[in-house]
Amino acid sequence: MRQPADELSIVGKSLIKPDAFSKVSGQTKFADDLALPRMIYGRILRSPHPHARILRVDTSRARAHPGVLAVLTGDDLPIKFGILPVSQDEEALAKEKVRYVGDPIAAVAATDEWIADEALDLIDVQFQELPPVMSIEQAIAGAGEPIHGTSNVHKTVALEFGDTDEALRAAAHVREDAVFFEGSTHLPMEQHAAVAQVAADGKLTLWTSSQTPHYVHRALGKVLEMPMSRIRVIATPNGGGFGGKSDIFAHELVAAKLALVTGRPVKITLTREEVFYAHRGRHPVLMKVKTGFRKDGRITAMQFQSFLDGGGYGSYGVASTYYTGALQATTYAIPRYRFEAVRFFTNKPPCGPKRGHGTPQPRFALETHLDKVAEELGIDPVELRRRNLPKPDSRTVNWLRITSIGLEECINKVVEGSGFLKRRTSMPAGRGLGFAVSCYLSGAGTAIYWNEMPHSEVQLKLDRNGGVSLLCGAIDIGQGSDHILAAIVAEVLGVSLEDIQLTTADTDLTPIDLGSYSSRVTFMAGNAAKAAAEKVRDRLFEVAAKALQCDPDELIARDHRVVRRNRPADGMDFAQAVQLAEAQDGLVTGTGSYTPPKLAGPYKGSGVGPSPAYSYSAAVVEVDCDSRTGEVRVPEVWIAHDIGRAINPMLVIGQVEGSVYMALGEALMEEQSFRLGLHKFPSLLEYKSPTALETPIMHTYLVETIDREGPFGAKEAGQGPLLPVIPAVANAIYNALGVRIDEVPITPDKVLKAMNDRSKRVGPKSVPAFDFPPLINADVPDEWKGK
Amino acid sequence: MEVLLPHSLEEALAIKGERPEATPIAGGTDLMVDLNFGRLRPAAMIDLSRVAELASWQQEDGHVFLGAGLTYATIVKEMPEFKPLVQASRSVGSPQIRNRGTVGGNLGTASPAGDALPVLAAYDADVVLRSRARGERSLAWHAFLTGPKKTAIAPDELIIGTRWRRLRGPGSFSKIGTRNAMVISVAGLCLVVDEENGAVKVALGSVGPTILRATEAEQQIAAAMTSSGAWQDSSITITEQVIDEFGSLVAAAAKPLDDVRGTAAYRRHGCRVLARRALIWALNERRLPAWL
Repeated sequence: MRQPADELSIVGKSLIKPDAFSKVSGQTKFADDLALPRMIYGRILRSPHPHARILRVDTSRARAHPGVLAVLTGDDLPIKFGILPVSQDEEALAKEKVRYVGDPIAAVAATDEWIADEALDLIDVQFQELPPVMSIEQAIAGAGEPIHGTSNVHKTVALEFGDTDEALRAAAHVREDAVFFEGSTHLPMEQHAAVAQVAADGKLTLWTSSQTPHYVHRALGKVLEMPMSRIRVIATPNGGGFGGKSDIFAHELVAAKLALVTGRPVKITLTREEVFYAHRGRHPVLMKVKTGFRKDGRITAMQFQSFLDGGGYGSYGVASTYYTGALQATTYAIPRYRFEAVRFFTNKPPCGPKRGHGTPQPRFALETHLDKVAEELGIDPVELRRRNLPKPDSRTVNWLRITSIGLEECINKVVEGSGFLKRRTSMPAGRGLGFAVSCYLSGAGTAIYWNEMPHSEVQLKLDRNGGVSLLCGAIDIGQGSDHILAAIVAEVLGVSLEDIQLTTADTDLTPIDLGSYSSRVTFMAGNAAKAAAEKVRDRLFEVAAKALQCDPDELIARDHRVVRRNRPADGMDFAQAVQLAEAQDGLVTGTGSYTPPKLAGPYKGSGVGPSPAYSYSAAVVEVDCDSRTGEVRVPEVWIAHDIGRAINPMLVIGQVEGSVYMALGEALMEEQSFRLGLHKFPSLLEYKSPTALETPIMHTYLVETIDREGPFGAKEAGQGPLLPVIPAVANAIYNALGVRIDEVPITPDKVLKAMNDRSKRVGPKSVPAFDFPPLINADVPDEWKGK
Repeated sequence: MEVLLPHSLEEALAIKGERPEATPIAGGTDLMVDLNFGRLRPAAMIDLSRVAELASWQQEDGHVFLGAGLTYATIVKEMPEFKPLVQASRSVGSPQIRNRGTVGGNLGTASPAGDALPVLAAYDADVVLRSRARGERSLAWHAFLTGPKKTAIAPDELIIGTRWRRLRGPGSFSKIGTRNAMVISVAGLCLVVDEENGAVKVALGSVGPTILRATEAEQQIAAAMTSSGAWQDSSITITEQVIDEFGSLVAAAAKPLDDVRGTAAYRRHGCRVLARRALIWALNERRLPAWL
């Protein structure tokens, strides 16, 4: 039963989130703040070579160093692991080979961090250096020893939905573009840290700044060969995640092993430099997009190719690869679609998910491509998008099910707010406006490991005094998931936020939530929380109705009262209702679970892309370019986001603004780039990301479409709003200077180079030749047959 | 590591005389980075932050003396009439770094990217050094800065400050960097006009092994202003061609390298752009009425 908005008392309000005061006053205990009696410190020896065979590791001098309690090598943790079941290719400590500078080789536990550091210098490793593979081109060339197995190709995809060649031949207009998106890292304020402790009975506890404690739990069980019931993983509040803490990391496994070996609590906190090498960030992707159009600008077919530079290990790479082709058709109605992709291993830190996972790169390709097409067709770029919008409650040609779409309203908001159509043709010199739109998932529709069980579960326990204990595996990574869970439960039960006692992300205490990734928590854990709250509310209504001699359907829960809807004086306190229920049949508890609908299409690879609902965003970016220095400033951004329903508008706006900020960093300056196998600038001093001074005025518009499957109609906010900003910057630079920078980041030297070049462009000329496997010709949904 | 804490200049000089290997530290904005990265492991450090004598500035006989311990924040607050110096100081790091960082540190580190250094070079400043054994000596800035992170300081000496003849005339400091704060510049430029001597001085940072002066450009523009009569009459227009030539000569004076922050070609180009702009600003400022 959906309640009309005017009856909601907490959902929809900009309330202060429960962890706000402890965060701003420095009282939040992050993983590195934990200190246990007799705790010792671990440090990890990492490879100085991008690609080398390990011939010998001699730890004898390190072991003899005073203060050292244990030294581990690959022999101590031989079982391979990985976040995806198909990519179990990592070792906590490399045994035979290192695959990037920073690859862990050995570990030391000592009475303090400095002694541990000294001991690392005393470990003698003999390497046989191998030629490194540092780019997509080198990976294709395939000279030297492959990084894994027999080839540097990690994953290929070749899918076709309908005959795209035929549709392109028949198109009135066809355009092809090649673009490159450089990798970047998450740059969370908090460095990764983990503390492991082994109890007297041998039970292991690991506190870790992780977005995915459930997956860490599974990996610990596997690698340590311990039953999961003997391991407890507690995720600590994350000082920024952005995808960078959603993998399983060597330091987590090593801290646990060192605690088991020494019997003492062990802490490992990565240095900032190690965080750059731990990475799992944005894949560098080279892309080609070819699209056919009718005269009126409607798309007839699209062919999309992605070449991903994956780094040394699989990580989330298989999913990332699919994501580069998944959401083109949820944003635009594409009748025929071909997607080919390849991910290569290279000798760089492994890439994985960063805010927008695998979709900002193709979004950049697609939205700059459409901007060029609009000009060629003589249609304004907004109108071209409007003519290609997909319909709500539809299925895309690649089988993705769309529920609500607020994209058109998003477009209207930013176009009107910025005066885009009028102003873009009359901007002063050096100024420009750019426009782009995007789409993102509200949670991945399939779990990382195959299973039929729920993706989120919530357990509630009601106290006699009216308090509510809420237990859920979700971890708040700063996005506000604690608030969302509490708000949903408080709303349903008619109590206030302060009445909700949260226990989260503790594998001993809390039921499963798969993790804070893929923008899934509000949608999935929110739905589970709502289901649990409704269950206990119904129980309370049952007993209260009996006492009040009315029908349970007449009751509502509001302001700590259970009352008759039409006779509010007729009722009882919420606590009284709990006491009645407890007296009748004991402890009042309720559980709720959420399993996304089965949405995968009938083809191999259809598991990546489906989501129970898609969010939509549109952005207009204004740039102020210095044509002499090539510098680009962004004074103002207008951004609209289809949030479904904003459970807390202040938090949503925070997520939107944070996304804009992060996008501008990627668009204009951030890059994870390498020289001679080494990260060029693994420090906050030289890895440039924007400061408050570069942050523009932002106009954020929230569009509410009240999605039928989201909790109270909510969809995601954490990732989607990043997506349109990067291509909108590029399109604005074209509007300002008439140059196309088809390569991210758009640095001043590229702008100048384009201005001085006859082509007025910087970017890849084409993509390299590569033999993709034969296309799998997937069936298309009925609604696209014959179109 | 030993940390020595002198409370007066005398004490500091005595310690430096006895422990010439000890590394002096003031704000630590460069040294702490090196310590943090393990690039520097001195046996001892002398913390100069308690030495009050170093943290002052004064004017006498048409000269300005700026103590080595003066922070950038203090310069911004107390020295508004020295505009290029204030502009350079304001572009250093972040508020926290400006509260700690000192001009003495910029001189001691002698990085070509030290933001205050092009200003001191354009002012033709001397660097004042003192040792307990031999007393005080002054070196011209270019004699002091001998190379990238290299200076002519003797092991028993401390940097006391810097001194320059006060100039009358407009000037500016500008720099190019990836962002507007907490950035090491890709190219920095200070231009000052010396009205009394009919000279224009241009110094470049981050585009060579040390701070560079664009002497040919200085002579070209001074001569052009002389021949056009612009020194006497600021309303006389300097032609676009002269300004272009000035920009080219400044760019030619740069000796940039490719590094992680930028390419040599972009840095040289940046010098040209900064030079043109700084000159145009200065010429415009000369035209402003005196009461403004």
